[in-house]
Amino acid sequence: MTAQMFFIGFFGLAGVWFGIVVFRTYSMVRSALALLFSQTALGAMFLSMQAEFLGVLQIMMMATEMSIMAIFMVMFMMDPGGLGTMDMTHQKRLSLIAGFVSFVAAVLVALFVDWGPIAATFPDAAQQTVDLGLELLNRSMLIFEMAGITILTAMIAATAVAIKPIERITNKSKGH
Amino acid sequence: MTTLIIILLLMVGAYLVAVLESWISTGRFQLAAPLLAGIALLGRESIIPRKPDRIFFEVGPVLLLLSGLLAAAVIPLTPDLIIADLATGALFINAALVYVLVALLMAGWGPDGAYAMIGGWRFLGQLIAYAMLIVMPITAVAMRAESLLSSQIVISQVDVWNIVYQPLGFVLFYVASMALAFLPPFDMMIAKGELAGGVEAEYTGIRLAVFRLGRLVLIITLAAATVIFYLGGWQGPWLPPWAWSAIKILAVTAAMLLAGRYMPRIREAHLLSWCWMLGIPLALINILIVGVLVLVYP
Repeated sequence: MTAQMFFIGFFGLAGVWFGIVVFRTYSMVRSALALLFSQTALGAMFLSMQAEFLGVLQIMMMATEMSIMAIFMVMFMMDPGGLGTMDMTHQKRLSLIAGFVSFVAAVLVALFVDWGPIAATFPDAAQQTVDLGLELLNRSMLIFEMAGITILTAMIAATAVAIKPIERITNKSKGH
Repeated sequence: MTTLIIILLLMVGAYLVAVLESWISTGRFQLAAPLLAGIALLGRESIIPRKPDRIFFEVGPVLLLLSGLLAAAVIPLTPDLIIADLATGALFINAALVYVLVALLMAGWGPDGAYAMIGGWRFLGQLIAYAMLIVMPITAVAMRAESLLSSQIVISQVDVWNIVYQPLGFVLFYVASMALAFLPPFDMMIAKGELAGGVEAEYTGIRLAVFRLGRLVLIITLAAATVIFYLGGWQGPWLPPWAWSAIKILAVTAAMLLAGRYMPRIREAHLLSWCWMLGIPLALINILIVGVLVLVYP
């Protein structure tokens, strides 16, 4: 039990530290990969809490997503390598207040919500995967399908916006 | 103990892959060549380029090696010889191998060199192409085994190997793993003749040795994954399980290396259109066929 608590704490702190690194670096690629390792630490926390499937899934998904984010940062930012030490932050006062308020809110929720009794027994990893699959295909199916279709729509829309329209050569413009 | 044995076997395997690779590309069988090349690399000065992103530069090759080793941890070589038979084994192999991308991005961005950086981002483009073709065939394999345990996946092939049961999935997975291990013809990110080594270009000495070792381990791990997913793992008549695993893994590796020898390099843009316009529909059809087959003939 103590080892488990240690690892949860360790990966939790690692996650927070990498989260801080995201804002402490000028390099966009470093920033994106720091966010990746922050999320990986979160996945490792799931693993320490013996939620194997969720942990492995988190560790897998984030690597691709954050790498893709890195290339978008490089494409859109003026100084992706951070060599000019350009300040990329803005609205500092607002973000400080917002960050502090959400931190306090999260702590209050964690402390004062009645989480119910701690489960004494829990299913093994294989059974967890089965339960998760059944949950996704039963009660939560509608929610996940809707989220999936929304993301797909956004992806198609983004691609459509990004593609340069091709000037079609028609018979008329050829002069026939 | 198991961990040590498997790491040792992986190193032997990686050495044999290096011998095979030089045999296939030069036509000369030299058993000592990789050893000599390795010693030469270790003896050379390991140059650090000007203005590197030092953390990425150092972590890149190590992470490449680590992700191959982690993926190998859930691959059973015999019924008992496995480091961790995770309940999410088939998914874990994916999760570990995605970090190959992260490692190559780091190694590409780190040295502050144009060729390396282009190579690193090219691999990202390649990942968008092959990633679905790794995941979707594995889905079909897990559907037949009704489990993500890699040992269970091997046992599910007692009667018929998956290469016969789902040949379409095998072809897709095979091609996608070649792209993952950036073997020719999918080696755009290190393209020797064009990018001067790409991601490898700025590495020398011990760092290059770690990078190359990482790539060899990656190739042998992917061949092992192909064997447990499609070729019945350790199963076979007469010989003991470990011998069958070794024979099959080496055969798959040799086939992967040979296949690349006779094909021109594929540009990542072309790979993207082939994978998304042909590969993914085929992978979906494969899942559908396997779904019906599982109901009719499990």
